[in-house]
Amino acid sequence: MTETVLNVAQSQKIAQPHIEVEHLNLWYGEKQALMNISMQIPKNSVTALIGPSGCGKSTFIRCLNRMNDLIENCRVEGKVSIEGKNIYGTGVDVVDLRKQVGMVFQKPNPFPMSIHDNIAYGPRIHGVSKKDIDGIVEASLRSAALWGETSDRLKSPALSLSGGQQQRLCIARTLAVKPSIILLDEPCSALDPISTSKIEELIMDLKKDYTIVIVTHNMQQAARVSDYTGFFLMGELIEFGQTRQIFHNPRERSTEDYITGRFG
Amino acid sequence: MFNRNHKEKAIESVLFSVSALTVVILLLICLFLFRDSLLLFKDTSLLGFLTGKFWYPTSVNKQFGLLPLLFGSLLVTAGAILFAVPLGIACAIYISEIAHPKVADLMKPFVEILAGIPSVVFGFFGLVVLVPIVQNSFNLPTGQTALTGSIMLGIMALPTIITISEDAISSVPSTLKQGSLALGATRWQTIYKVVIPAAISGISAAVMLGIGRAIGETMTLMMVTGNTAIIPSFPGGILDPVRTMTATIALEMGEVPQGSDHFHALFAVGSVLFIITFLINLIADYIKKRYRFKVD
Repeated sequence: MTETVLNVAQSQKIAQPHIEVEHLNLWYGEKQALMNISMQIPKNSVTALIGPSGCGKSTFIRCLNRMNDLIENCRVEGKVSIEGKNIYGTGVDVVDLRKQVGMVFQKPNPFPMSIHDNIAYGPRIHGVSKKDIDGIVEASLRSAALWGETSDRLKSPALSLSGGQQQRLCIARTLAVKPSIILLDEPCSALDPISTSKIEELIMDLKKDYTIVIVTHNMQQAARVSDYTGFFLMGELIEFGQTRQIFHNPRERSTEDYITGRFG
Repeated sequence: MFNRNHKEKAIESVLFSVSALTVVILLLICLFLFRDSLLLFKDTSLLGFLTGKFWYPTSVNKQFGLLPLLFGSLLVTAGAILFAVPLGIACAIYISEIAHPKVADLMKPFVEILAGIPSVVFGFFGLVVLVPIVQNSFNLPTGQTALTGSIMLGIMALPTIITISEDAISSVPSTLKQGSLALGATRWQTIYKVVIPAAISGISAAVMLGIGRAIGETMTLMMVTGNTAIIPSFPGGILDPVRTMTATIALEMGEVPQGSDHFHALFAVGSVLFIITFLINLIADYIKKRYRFKVD
């Protein structure tokens, strides 16, 4: 199985991957949750990670900005390189890493402050000067397609927004610290279909400037928004390749079974 | 069937009576407290009582001025709050956010035990240990001062402040913390800029309840503050002996002839105390309700 994965990865060797994962293993205590994952993600692409619940896709995405550091008993082996630099190497500053690799969570989690302050939070903690904040807030809200709906009420509490708006606010908040990579952990699972389609449009739009990795339970969503797809099962990366190929011509039997809805 | 219904009804009415009794008792206490207080104002004006600067209840020219006692209480309480709030909040942050869960589990029972120590034991400790320390450190004629009372009271208010603040801080959703950390905030920035603001109403309620605890405390203060009913100067008076409202009632109630002016004056002091603690509890309750609403 592992051999196959490597072969697939090698057959599509990307000249300069933005994210390169090599032989990544992860344990929660005694239990191994990720097994020998290798993957190359090119710049300015959307990569979807699919698989049944508990397959390790969320755990994997949290390795890319080291959010798993927060979990006790969590041990990581292997290499994750971002722009050629191993983020699990010595002397890596997690704060800098997370500035570079932004993350949006499953449930919208705006801070209990105003819309403006939510966006300004990141730049402020990173010492951006006061006069630049308003510009960043506007630019971020525009990029997240939320400016039109919020420009006249930036001082209102973020929690007064609808769920879909809150999630776009969280995306805007992430953009405000100027990352190069955005991780989205099932960003639409708590949203209605209309809000979902807005987020999907946004993802395709953001691809111009960012490398995006999205975990999703929704196969159609993966097919619609992504350029590359990885299929996870029981902590292993079963298959990784161009989305078109994965959906139309999967190499592995289990991938096909999952995509066609035979299990999962 | 008929019998069972009767039994249900009977149990219900017993439980109702018991609950109603607590309300009735409270109302009766209020009634007696206020009735006996009002009798004071036959001879003394309400304004004279509330703004009187001298408490001479047994001299020839009797004077029942509340201010020395009120300021005594306020000074000691303010000192206690200055001391207990930063310490209590810091402790709550440590227990809920920073300490290893095992350490936190070890610390929490100690905080609760602190709440269970009888106030006379605190008073005894204060008298024997703290009073000499205060006397020697500031080179005072006596160590029984407002400051001594403030420190003891602060220690006694700590468990209230710690437990309720810790509750408020722990109930901040972890998704908020993760959101902050994912933006590249450090752990301290996350605590300081996201967690505490999100928990601020719970923390304020904790402080209010801590004040309520402090202002009603009697025994400890009687033992360590020296009980001199003189309006304290500010802020230097913190190193002078003071007398609180609670200590006054406890000290003098045993000696006054029932039905005398002095007797009614003590009731009036009690009424003032009751109104203050009632207001504080009301504010704390209001803040707590707002905070619950926010978390939901």
